Amino acid sequence: MESAIKIEGLTKEYLNKTTGKMVRAVDDLHLEVYRGEIFGFLGPNGAGKTTTIKMLLGLIFPTKGDAWVLGKPIGDVSVKRQIAYLPESPYFYEYLTGRQVLDFYARLFGVPAGERKKKVEALLEMVGLSRDGDKTLRNYSKGMLQRIGIAQALINDPELLFLDEPTSGLDPMARIEIRDLIMRLKQQGKTVFLSSHQLLEVELICDRVSILNRGKLLKAGKLDELLPSGRVEIVAENVDDGVAEKIRALGGQVQRQNGRVVVQQPDDASVNKVVDIIRSANGIIRSLIPQRRTLEELFVSTIEEVEKK
Amino acid sequence: MTAVLAIAYNTVREALSRRVVLLFLFGALVLIVLSPLFSFLSPREELTLLKSLGLGVIQLASMFICIVMGISLIPAEIERRTIYTVLSKPVQRYEFVLGKFLGGILTMLLNILFMGLVFFVVVAWRGTPKQALDLWKGFVMIFFQMSILVSLAIFFSVFLTPFVNFFMSLGVYIIGTLSSVTESLMKGENRTVLQKGIGAVLHYLLPNFGNFNIQNKIIHPETRIINEGVYYIQNIGYAILYIAVLLIIAVIIFDRREV
Repeated sequence: MESAIKIEGLTKEYLNKTTGKMVRAVDDLHLEVYRGEIFGFLGPNGAGKTTTIKMLLGLIFPTKGDAWVLGKPIGDVSVKRQIAYLPESPYFYEYLTGRQVLDFYARLFGVPAGERKKKVEALLEMVGLSRDGDKTLRNYSKGMLQRIGIAQALINDPELLFLDEPTSGLDPMARIEIRDLIMRLKQQGKTVFLSSHQLLEVELICDRVSILNRGKLLKAGKLDELLPSGRVEIVAENVDDGVAEKIRALGGQVQRQNGRVVVQQPDDASVNKVVDIIRSANGIIRSLIPQRRTLEELFVSTIEEVEKK
Repeated sequence: MTAVLAIAYNTVREALSRRVVLLFLFGALVLIVLSPLFSFLSPREELTLLKSLGLGVIQLASMFICIVMGISLIPAEIERRTIYTVLSKPVQRYEFVLGKFLGGILTMLLNILFMGLVFFVVVAWRGTPKQALDLWKGFVMIFFQMSILVSLAIFFSVFLTPFVNFFMSLGVYIIGTLSSVTESLMKGENRTVLQKGIGAVLHYLLPNFGNFNIQNKIIHPETRIINEGVYYIQNIGYAILYIAVLLIIAVIIFDRREV
């Protein structure tokens, strides 16, 4: 698969002015993001996510290592025609109106006047700010600023988008809209590099994710690989203690809840045997649900594991 | 070039929306309009005082606007993080610096034009339109003087904090205005080698703001500047060269700066 972003040994050290010591914000990071995918870039606060994005955009410079964005080495300004960036808590020129600020960003791409006007209107419409386009940004709510941020990121119809907490400050409806928008971008063949704390959202939309902590990459891969199914929950009725003992002997955990039995079977292999045991003793199977580990569980356990060491 | 113009246009819009800039402009306009009232303070001819006061006010207000605006043109973008969305677009860092400078001098041009227009009306009213028309050379020289000051403030702003920059820009402006003093320090007979060295460094390295002060010629039209045309061309050329050098160094530093 063709890579949209390739990172090899990227390291960023800076001097902590308070302690006078060098701090490693990003530590020998190796990563590859493929074209057309939504890539989740996860990590707790201070993990080095924003520092990595800023290095990829040429806003700060790596201490060591190399990276390529759409095949061009970082710092190559020409690639910025094809990429977009939505910073975390974006700040804009608050004395400008929504229309003016989008017009300004369109000018930076050299969009001709007539086309610029159409583009600005279309983007305002897309993010639901057409009616507020003439208000100055100092009168915008946090959610409205986030929407303007998304609009400015789409002004050049980019191939690759760096979105840093795109749903931060948005209400649930707006979050769903942004999520749908990101999915639409993927359908259009665009690549999205998504840094977010909204793990449920990431789980819903990302193809692959990586987890970063204290500048180090802890895990990276497809969600299916990182969150394997295997555990199965069986809910049954009319199961006596003798049957429960037989199930336990197969490695399952059995709990009684409101006259029902809930069986947690650790793997697929023994599920059929458990079902056979229950049915042969005239038990009734009410449900059988494969349990997948959530991204949140994976995230917490990964970070905790490292922090314990 | 489109990016440079877009940044410049935005810079003008921002500068003109800043209260502190408007305050200096408003203060200067009030003083210019009221200047005929001050004629009783001096036994000199009213028009002489009027010209002296008006040009002084325009220069002083322009200087403060220049410094207050210039020291924050780039640092404010970094502090507010608006620079992230600009430099993540296809904008070279030199284009950003150039756009900021261009916006800064356009703001100055508008301010000087506005103050100059009001001053022109006052002088035409108290004197003659011909006397008012003679002021334009003064405005042009103030504009170029202030253009150097904007580039100086931008130059300092890429490696100094706005607070330190304010005093540095102001200090250099004051020393640069006293070019006759630095020249005498450099050439004086009873000076030590060290004094002469310091004088030479200050005289040649710092911008020679003093050469742009032609108020005396405007206030006293009978005074003549030898080779007047050459004098103006030389000084405007000097301003352009000095600005170019300052901006090139500023770009070199800013290119290596993390934002």
